[in-house]
Amino acid sequence: MEFGWTSDQEALRGKLQAFLDASLPADWETIASLSPGSQAVTDFSREFCPQLAEAGMLCSHWPEEHGGSDASAWDHFIIGELLWGAGEPRGPQYYNVNWIGPTILAYGTEEQKAQHLARMREGNVVWCQGFSEPSGGSDLAAIRTRAVRQPGGDGRYLVNGQKIWTSYARLAEFCFLVVKTGDARRDVSVFLLPMDRPGITVRPIDSVVGDGDLHEVFFDDVEVFEAERLGPEGKGWEVIRYSLDFERVGIPRYALALRTLHRAVAELQREGSFIAEAEQDAALALARCEAARMLVYETVDKRMRERPDTGSASMARYAVVCAERQVADFVLDWTPHLFTSDDAPMVATHHKRAIAAGLAAGAAEIQLNLVARDVLGLGV
Amino acid sequence: MDFTLSEDQQMLMTAFEGLLSRYREAPHGVHGYTCYSEAFQQELRDSGFLEITDQPGFGLLEAAMLIEAAASCPVSVEAASSMMIGPLVRDGAGPVALGWQVGRPVRYLGQASTLCLFEGDDVLVCARDECDLAPVDGVAAYPLARLVSVPSGARRIRAGEAAAIRRRVLLGIAAEAAGLMRGALENTVQYVKEREQFGQPLGHFQGIQHRLAEDMVMVRACRSLAFRAAFEDCDRQAALACLYAQDAMRKVIHDCHQFSGAMGLTLEFPLHLWTYRLKVLQGEAGGRAAQARSVSRATWPQHQTAADKHIIEEGVA
Repeated sequence: MEFGWTSDQEALRGKLQAFLDASLPADWETIASLSPGSQAVTDFSREFCPQLAEAGMLCSHWPEEHGGSDASAWDHFIIGELLWGAGEPRGPQYYNVNWIGPTILAYGTEEQKAQHLARMREGNVVWCQGFSEPSGGSDLAAIRTRAVRQPGGDGRYLVNGQKIWTSYARLAEFCFLVVKTGDARRDVSVFLLPMDRPGITVRPIDSVVGDGDLHEVFFDDVEVFEAERLGPEGKGWEVIRYSLDFERVGIPRYALALRTLHRAVAELQREGSFIAEAEQDAALALARCEAARMLVYETVDKRMRERPDTGSASMARYAVVCAERQVADFVLDWTPHLFTSDDAPMVATHHKRAIAAGLAAGAAEIQLNLVARDVLGLGV
Repeated sequence: MDFTLSEDQQMLMTAFEGLLSRYREAPHGVHGYTCYSEAFQQELRDSGFLEITDQPGFGLLEAAMLIEAAASCPVSVEAASSMMIGPLVRDGAGPVALGWQVGRPVRYLGQASTLCLFEGDDVLVCARDECDLAPVDGVAAYPLARLVSVPSGARRIRAGEAAAIRRRVLLGIAAEAAGLMRGALENTVQYVKEREQFGQPLGHFQGIQHRLAEDMVMVRACRSLAFRAAFEDCDRQAALACLYAQDAMRKVIHDCHQFSGAMGLTLEFPLHLWTYRLKVLQGEAGGRAAQARSVSRATWPQHQTAADKHIIEEGVA
């Protein structure tokens, strides 16, 4: 056990910071405040990600045969930490590199890998995640959207149903779609579905998290094919669990929370109003962020050693939610004008993203269920 | 960054666990408020573990690991100060006691060979035998004695050197608190698995599960923050780890007692042996307010430069 960084890791941090300094435009903070799924951030990601790929930092943790450089999970995480703290210039494409790509690597056919991984590592493809439905959000097994295999033996299915809260759907080219393929509760399958398939209708939902982040997606007799199925039919639950273990720590959310906290404290110091009570609140918020950081680091470390551990990912996720909330409250308590005005776009960005932290990838309370079951051994 | 024990650390912890295993259970029957064991203290002294930081290849991180492990036992023993600041101040071979004000109770004062008294930014160090002490009749689960006076000839360690002592005190509190919280939580989790009400174990109720899961998250974070701070041996991280621990313990203590029911109020049930040590640590070294001030001043000096801020954001400070 040790808590230092190697010189290579320090160098990577420096390299990426220099890259960001050179590639982010002057008005980046204003662009970033529009949310990752907005047209502006998505467009920016299509410029930024190819440059990041060119610099070898988009998919470096992927295997060399798939265009990566076999970099460690730590290298990938260091990149993600810095990028999220900078407002996530990869926009919606962080999905691809963090968990959709790795899940296709683990479960995809050679054809699927060839088709999808190349686009992802070039940095110009947007995916959405078709998980939540009106009937099943945190209770994912309660989804009703169904793919029914058609007679004729041509491997054709028809999908009918509805997804909701789907981030990035309006601009996405593909959907990582979870559907029922049988009657048992966990008889689900995953399909890698092109979003231009006839029968798909996307409706944006206006929300406080920003433009482009929430949608309804309707499927009316949409054709999908066996070749587009990820993993065996009916075994999608395993694929989903694999992907969620990546997603739950995929976003180092405390990085943006810390940046927001520093921004709010700087404002108080500028005003000469960083009084003792504010100092105490700020220090406690900082401590929560650092606690979240350590639990996330522990999970990354376990992932690097290929020891899947749902409990540790859930603990990290819950700590992150607590940290996000403490920082958001600090801003509202001490610098309310940064929330009510557009003086500090990054503060608005944090608020938009923090409000969803306890919901995305399974509600915070689901994480507590998992901690109680998997870590404490308490019956459910 | 590596959360797995090295081979040497693994051997160290296995050997230490061998010693701790005799003190993992509180003595049967009703015991007092305190369950201090002179035999445990003696064994610890004879084993050489208290001098862990003098061992080649080991340092403050390993000291923090041992302190956390020892504190998870219901039987109390002075390990934190001996390991963390003993090498800096120890006059004799016995435990080190930490005093914050003359006239107030001090943990392990009756058992210590050395006293450190914090006075402003300085630290006064003297042999315990030279101090006047008086018994204390309290409910805390540490052995306590009142510090009545210190000798006028006590060695004064000035601010600069004293800062290292203060930093290591915070590291010791953070690591000890992490172990105490773990012990209290494990004991409580075991209880809610066994105790049945309304036809099922308490641990089946989601309202209880969620709060204990929240506590688990904090206990694990506490440990990692304490270990990282010990590894880095830096003022800011030490204050931050201590702040987090002193904040987290308020909820952990409350929840553990709440879910242990009236059993947790008895001296027969060992819960208080962890929680009534935590209650003492909650205000130690100035408590949350002092630690928060240190964290804040170190993180946000009034005239911080952009470069300083960058370092802090990346977590490499």
